[in-house]
Amino acid sequence: MLQHGNDAGHPAHSSGTSRRRFLTAMAGGGAAVAAPALLTGCGSAQAKGGNLQFWNFYGPQRSPDPAINAQSKWFTDMVDRWNATHSTKIDLVYLPQPTYLNGFKLPSAFATGEGPDIFLCSPGDFLRYYNGGVLADLTPHMEKAAVDDFGSTLDSRKVDGKVYALPMEVEPLAMFYAQDVWEKAGLSEADIPTTWDQMLDVGDKLRTKTRAGLVFETNPGYYQNFTWYPWMWQGGGDVLDERGEVAFDSRATRQALALWQDAVHHGIAPRTVPAAGDVIGGFKGGNVALWQQGIWNVSSFKAFAPDFPYGVFRLPVPPGGKYVTALGGWSFCANAQGRNPEAAAEFCVWALGSMKDESIDRMVDWCVGAKSDVAPRDTALERGAAKGGYDSEVMRKFKDEIFPGGRAEPRYPPVVYKAISDAIQGTMLAGRGVDGETERAARSISAYTKSYKGASLV
Amino acid sequence: MSSVAAQEQRRATAAPARASAASKGPRLSRKHREWLAAGLFLAPDVLGLLVFVAIPMVLSIVLSFFQVSGFGSYEWIGLGNYRRMMDDPLFWDSMKITGLYVVVLVPVLFCVSLALGLLVKQKLPGMGIYRTALFLPYVISLVVVGVLWKFLLDEQTGAVNRAMRAAGFDGESWLGSPSLALGCVIAVMVWVMMGYYMIIFLAGLQEIPKEFYEAAKLDGAGPWTAFRTITWPLLRPTSFFVLLMSTVAAITGGLDLIFVLTNGGPANGTSLAIFYIYQQAFGFGEYGYASAMGSFLVLIMVLISAVIFKFTRGGRFDDGE
Repeated sequence: MLQHGNDAGHPAHSSGTSRRRFLTAMAGGGAAVAAPALLTGCGSAQAKGGNLQFWNFYGPQRSPDPAINAQSKWFTDMVDRWNATHSTKIDLVYLPQPTYLNGFKLPSAFATGEGPDIFLCSPGDFLRYYNGGVLADLTPHMEKAAVDDFGSTLDSRKVDGKVYALPMEVEPLAMFYAQDVWEKAGLSEADIPTTWDQMLDVGDKLRTKTRAGLVFETNPGYYQNFTWYPWMWQGGGDVLDERGEVAFDSRATRQALALWQDAVHHGIAPRTVPAAGDVIGGFKGGNVALWQQGIWNVSSFKAFAPDFPYGVFRLPVPPGGKYVTALGGWSFCANAQGRNPEAAAEFCVWALGSMKDESIDRMVDWCVGAKSDVAPRDTALERGAAKGGYDSEVMRKFKDEIFPGGRAEPRYPPVVYKAISDAIQGTMLAGRGVDGETERAARSISAYTKSYKGASLV
Repeated sequence: MSSVAAQEQRRATAAPARASAASKGPRLSRKHREWLAAGLFLAPDVLGLLVFVAIPMVLSIVLSFFQVSGFGSYEWIGLGNYRRMMDDPLFWDSMKITGLYVVVLVPVLFCVSLALGLLVKQKLPGMGIYRTALFLPYVISLVVVGVLWKFLLDEQTGAVNRAMRAAGFDGESWLGSPSLALGCVIAVMVWVMMGYYMIIFLAGLQEIPKEFYEAAKLDGAGPWTAFRTITWPLLRPTSFFVLLMSTVAAITGGLDLIFVLTNGGPANGTSLAIFYIYQQAFGFGEYGYASAMGSFLVLIMVLISAVIFKFTRGGRFDDGE
C-alpha cells in the first residue's frame, strides 16, 4: 500500500508513556477478566440439579396473535399448577419455532448431554431420540385405562409395547377452499371433488395469474413429506410394509408423485407456496383457491379472519383408492438422561396421560380452546365435543369425516425422510422422471434399512 | 529543622534508594515494554481465536474420525466418514452447486462493489446518503433479508412478478424453479454484500493520490486509461482483500439466507455444501460425518486461498512498482 509521509516506525514521544502504561494495564486486566469468562463458557452450560427445564415453542411469550397468547397461557398455567403441587419444580424455556425445528440449540444440547428434561417431539424425530437413549419410559407412570384411552394415537410413540411420548394433539390434513372464489366460479357444494381428477379440474378452473388453483407444500422438509404421504397411502402404497421391508417402489408411489408433478407441470399448483407460506394471508388476499392444510389453521382463521368464508373437505382419492389422511401432532417427552427422569416422566403423564379429570380437561382446553385440534384421547374428544369444541361446521367435519380415516405420521429416520424428500422435490419441481426417482429412493431406503440398528421403523 | 530543609534531606536519601532498586532488578527496555504491551493487547483476540476457532477446528477434525450419535456416544471408525463422503452423491452435488455459486458470486460482487466504490467516490451533493443506502442491506439480518426477498419474489403476488406482468411479460417462479433459484440467491447475496465491499474499495480508492490523476490528465489520459493505468494497479492490495474475503464468505456464508429463502430447494438446487453440512449435523445428528465434510471444505478453502495468494502475490506490488 502506498504510504504518504507517515511516521511509521517512529514511536510517539515520551509524553505518551503514562497513556501507554494505562492502556497496557487495561489490556492486561481485560485479558485477565476475559480468560476465565471464555474458558468457563466452554464448560457445562448448566450444572446438574435445580429446576427441571421444559423446552417448547409455545411459551412463555407475548404476541399480537391472541391464539398464540392463549397457547402460551396454557403452558404457563400447566407448569404453575404442577409447581404449586409438587416439590420438583419445572421452568418453561421458550424457543421460537424455527429455532426449535431447524436450529442447532436442541441437537447441540442433547449432543453435549445438556438436553432439556422435558421437550416436545414430532413423530419424525421420535426414532432418533429413542435410538439415542434419551426417551424415558412413561408406561410405569400410566394406568392401563389411560393407555387404552389414547388408542391408536400412541402407536407411533411406542416401542415393544412401552410408551415413550404422549401426544398433546392430533392434526389431520384436509383441503381448505375459499368459498367466495368457489361461488364466483359457479361451483356449488356438489362440485366438491372426491377424486384426484376432479381436484385437478377444479384447481385448473379456479386458477388465475395471481391465484393458485391448488396448493401442495413445496418447501423440502419433514412437513412436505408429511403432506405427501396420504396421496401415496390412498393408492395402497407405503414406504415400508408391516414387516419393515422396503415397499416404496410401487404403482401407488408413482401415481402419488405423478399427481404432484402433473399439478405443477400444468400450472395448476404453484412451484412455491403463495404469500410466502402465510395461509390466512394467501386466502384473504385472494391468491389461493384450494390448499392442502392442517386443522391448526382453523384457530388461525378464527383469530385473523373470523369472517372469511372458507370450507374444508376430505382429501380426494385416486381411482380404486381408499380415503386416508395423515395425522400429525407433537408429543411430550421426558429425557431419560436428564436431571430427574422419573419426575420428568411423571410430569408428562400428570399433564396429559392421567385418568384424572384435571389431565383430561387440560387436553380438552388445548385442543378446542387454545388450539383447534382433534384430541388424541377418546375421553378428551368426547368432552371437547360436549363442550361445543366441534360444533362449528369446519371442526365437525374434521372430527366426523376427516379424522376417522387418518393414519399417524410415520417415524422414519432422517435418511429415509431425505430419500423420499428428494424423490418428491425431483419429480415435482425439477421435472425428473417418476420411475427413476422412485427406484432411486427405494434403493437408498433399502441400503439404509439393511444396516439400520434400532427400534422398529414402523 | 525547617520544613524546606527536611524535604531536601528526604530527596537526598530517596535518590540513592531508587538507584539501588533499579540496579537490583533488570528494568525492561522500551522495545521489550512495547512487545509486552502488544502481546497483552493481542491476548484477548488470540485467546478468542484459540477458544472459538482453532480448538473447535482441531476437535472437528478429530470428530470426523468418529461415528457420533448426537446423544453423546462416539465410536472410532477411522476414515469411514471420508469414505462415505466420497460415495455420497448429494454431497458432491452440493459441492458442484457451491462451485457454481462461488464462480458467479465472487466476480459479480467484485465488479458491482468496485463500480459502486468508483461511483460513490465522486463528490456530489447527498453522496453520504447514497453511501448509507447502499451499505444498509449489509447491516440487516440475513433472516430479515430472506423474508423480504421471499415476498418480493413470490410467484403470485411478488413485486417482481407484478412489475413483469405490468410490462407485458409472464411472471416467473423465481424460487421454485431449479434453474432460477440459485441465481436469485446469488442476486440477493450481491445486494446484501455489495455495500460492505463498496466501502472497502472506497477506502482503497481514497488512498490513491490525486496528483497521479492530475498528472495523467495533463498527459491526455481519459477516464478509462486513468482507471487502467492508475486505479486498477494501485488497488491491487484492496482487490486482493476483497477477492479473498468474498471467496471465503461465499464458501462458508449464506446459511441463514438459504434457510429462509429456499431451505435448500427446489430439488436441492440451492443446497450449498455449507447447508448440506449443517443439515447433516443439526438436522440428522450426523456430527462425525458433518465434521468430515466440514474438514474437507476447509481444505478446499485453504487451497483456493493459496491459489488466490499465488496469482495475486498476496496483493503486494511488484518490486520497483
